[in-house]
Amino acid sequence: MRTLVRPAQYVALACYILFLGFPLLWLLSASVKSSGELNSLVVNLLPQEWHWENYAEALARQGLVHSAANSAIVALASTALVILIALPASYVLARLKGAIRTAGVGWILVSQVFPVILVILPLFLILRTIGLTDSLVGLTLVHTTYTLPFALWMLQGYVAAIPVELEEAGAMDGGSRLTVLRRIVVPLLAPGVVATAMFSFVSSWNEFFFALVLLQSPENYTLPITLSTFIGGEGKVALGPLAAGSVLAAIPSIVFFSIMQKKLTGGLMAGAVKG
Amino acid sequence: MKSRGVFIAACLTTSTLLLAACGSADAGDDGPVTLKFQALSDQPAAIAATESIVEDWNTANPDVQVEIVPAGWDGVYDKLITQFNGGAAPDVIHYEAASIVSFARDGYLADLTDLMSEERRADIPEGILDSVTVDDQVIAYPTELQSYVVFANRTLLEDAGVEIPTGDTMTWDELREIAQATTEGDVYGLGWGLSSPTAAFMSLAPGFGGSYITGTGEDADVTVGEGEMALPELVHAMAYDDESILPVTLTQSGSEAIASFYAGQTAMTVQGSYQAANIAKDAPKDLDWVALPPLAGPEGPQQAANPQTLSVNIDSEHVEESAEFIEFFTQTEHLAALNEADALIPATTSAQEALTEKLGDENGWSTILASGQNFTAAPYLFADSYAQWKDTVATPAYQRYLAQETDETELADQLTSGWDEITQ
Repeated sequence: MRTLVRPAQYVALACYILFLGFPLLWLLSASVKSSGELNSLVVNLLPQEWHWENYAEALARQGLVHSAANSAIVALASTALVILIALPASYVLARLKGAIRTAGVGWILVSQVFPVILVILPLFLILRTIGLTDSLVGLTLVHTTYTLPFALWMLQGYVAAIPVELEEAGAMDGGSRLTVLRRIVVPLLAPGVVATAMFSFVSSWNEFFFALVLLQSPENYTLPITLSTFIGGEGKVALGPLAAGSVLAAIPSIVFFSIMQKKLTGGLMAGAVKG
Repeated sequence: MKSRGVFIAACLTTSTLLLAACGSADAGDDGPVTLKFQALSDQPAAIAATESIVEDWNTANPDVQVEIVPAGWDGVYDKLITQFNGGAAPDVIHYEAASIVSFARDGYLADLTDLMSEERRADIPEGILDSVTVDDQVIAYPTELQSYVVFANRTLLEDAGVEIPTGDTMTWDELREIAQATTEGDVYGLGWGLSSPTAAFMSLAPGFGGSYITGTGEDADVTVGEGEMALPELVHAMAYDDESILPVTLTQSGSEAIASFYAGQTAMTVQGSYQAANIAKDAPKDLDWVALPPLAGPEGPQQAANPQTLSVNIDSEHVEESAEFIEFFTQTEHLAALNEADALIPATTSAQEALTEKLGDENGWSTILASGQNFTAAPYLFADSYAQWKDTVATPAYQRYLAQETDETELADQLTSGWDEITQ
């Protein structure tokens, strides 16, 4: 009986991976099918014939690569800003007691209540007044503002999980407040920072509505906006090129994740040693 | 406390720098006028056609340059409403009649009545012009339309001993008879993607004398009588009495239902006319297909028009120049080129004729283009609560009816009482 447990675990794991990976496999498959095959009743995971033109068409349309670069700039900048602000703020939020913390938590919760459609108009008017509509800088600030509350909430949970006793021990060993933060808290917080950065990056990378409304010039379009132009009126969808474009759009995200994944693992180990 | 002060100072410095860097770059009054034209063309050929027209305009009009701002259909309503409210809408706006009527009522669109040339007005069929006329004001130029067309598998029809209909129109009874005759074994006579049936039923109702909506704006009301119920009842009878409609297609979109037509599972399919181009491109090589004549009910072959349009932002500083550009854009050769690229029906008679002359019978074009003269005004365009009624009342009610969860009486009751509830 016991010998069956390990194979069963592998089978379960394989099923889970297949379950998670199937949409991506299907996307890859659709990206190399002809429109005739995509509109056929015959369902094949592997295409009958490989149709690479979808990638050429996706790349040729509406500056997909330029849009990807814009998305990367906005996503990386807003991630950096979110981390920069959330890191000290989350420490304060987790460690302090009293009115400031209560106000901070209240602000986080309230900020999550409003639907995007409700805030877009005042936001548009404010940004227009300061000349930041149709600007990647403006979109970065909006993404930062929109992501910050949840990132803050996420990161303060990681801070709260670090025992205060570790900081007290560091202080008793003669470390200043800054030294304790730098040498004890920050390394232990690294996995949380990485996870929060990943969340922020994905939020910004995939964000559609703010970009749709705020950006007017094609040269400023982000990837979701450009991909949405593959869906036309009257129910027309360029399915093959859309799938190809989506595959290309996923690559930077996958690269970012693979880099951050290593940091995440490294951070976890660092925390384990010090703990 | 000290760090808080540093943070505030940093924020203020950053804001100042951003303001300095991103301040308005508007030039002075000198130089050519630049019109922003938000275009929704989505097909590569249509994008190229649009760019070509704009390029021609820019070459011919150095003092009024047009800049294309490409946008997608997805979310464009929200984008426009924000732009209008924020005072940042483009000068020339491409959209569909069903959505711009509310913008016109809210005062966002310029009155083009006096700016549209007599030549253009005479060239646009009355029913199509009515679809862009709000309170006696022309609020847009119509450009492209689609009609509902029956595409048939000629081999399956001939194998069933059916004579392929010819002539200017065919009746719904003929469609039903052909569907019955071709239903045999695994083959169904008709496939019709009716997962969102409201648009099709509303568009085709005029052929049965149905209008659904009476009145306009807030005073509009829904009436569901024989003319309105005729088509849903016919579809229901074909699906469940004749069993000549492939059942799964009733829950599919039009694009999804076309797969069973390609596979020879259905002898005919009702689709948007633009699908002719897709069928020509994607259908199996051995599929011998044909576009059947426009469907006519007891009242004729009319279909409600919901054209794509070009309108002008009322807050534009260059309304007249924008209208002149649209006049140029809607010239016969331009509309013909654009509609050929988009596989749609031009909104002007001259462009329809030009396209018919150019394309002939290829891929059913002559049949499809002929239906361009059968468009009639769509009363639903002018009812304020239509969009809400369509999504929350009509579509679910039709879906329940086509799934046999309700009967005709309940459907009619749900359609009218649902309207009353949302307009109370």
